[in-house]
Amino acid sequence: MIGHPPKRSRPLARRNVLACSSRFGPNMTPMVDVTLVILIFFMASASIAGHEWFLRAHLPEVQDPDLVSSGFSLPTPMLSAELFVRDGAVFVRGFGDEARPIDTVIEQIRNMDAEVADGLILGIRAGDDVPYSAVVSLHDAAASREMQVAIR
Amino acid sequence: MRNRSIISVEGSGARINVTPMIDVVMVLIVFYLLVGQLAIDRKASIVLPSSMIGIDETQEEDPIIVGVTAEGLISINGNAIAAERFAGEIEGMHARAPETPIRVRAHRDAPFGAVRPVMRRLGDAGVKQVELVTERKR
Repeated sequence: MIGHPPKRSRPLARRNVLACSSRFGPNMTPMVDVTLVILIFFMASASIAGHEWFLRAHLPEVQDPDLVSSGFSLPTPMLSAELFVRDGAVFVRGFGDEARPIDTVIEQIRNMDAEVADGLILGIRAGDDVPYSAVVSLHDAAASREMQVAIR
Repeated sequence: MRNRSIISVEGSGARINVTPMIDVVMVLIVFYLLVGQLAIDRKASIVLPSSMIGIDETQEEDPIIVGVTAEGLISINGNAIAAERFAGEIEGMHARAPETPIRVRAHRDAPFGAVRPVMRRLGDAGVKQVELVTERKR
């Protein structure tokens, strides 16, 4: 039979009991190493891939502002919001008789009945000086009520 | 010392302990992922707007990424492009791969006057919908 030659046991007096007991069982060090590295890897990948997502926005086919209402490729939007800047603040026209601050409109959209809002299309137009983040905030509120959004 | 040897001669034959190599390779991968991401963010200098709602990344084909900086500079897949060349370039790309999603990464402080032309050119190129990249609101 081929194998290791039987180990000769050392005299009992020369054995280190603690050293012997530490050799029992598998060596856990590589496994702990790999587990920690995998943990770090997933934490890092989650922080890289996990902090971004996106909102879907429809685009009108016809770009001439005068023709938008007649040439819009989507079904007629049920709601229309026009963003503009007044005195350094962003206002929205289209929700109510008067222009309202964007925060009020966002709150209004978020409080809409889900059944009413679901499937509605919100068309967003914005002035040149409106920050892009304001457009996204309105889009975000509409998306939270399952509305579709078209940016004109 | 015997337990730490890279080449183990125990058992039926010599074996190389690959665990340290895997450790090092994994650490290098993580390092390059982080550095690469930081480099891209710094290069593009785009701070995204945040949103509470969004769609997570899908494992479909790689999207076309259109960047708009706060100054209105446009890029496609990280490469800066002049505004007048953007329309032709995006039209060609969309014609070649109409199913490829188009993702707009615009700076949150960019005036909409800088973003609108991009949207219009995309619409002119036949793009029906775009994905507006945002940061998760925590």
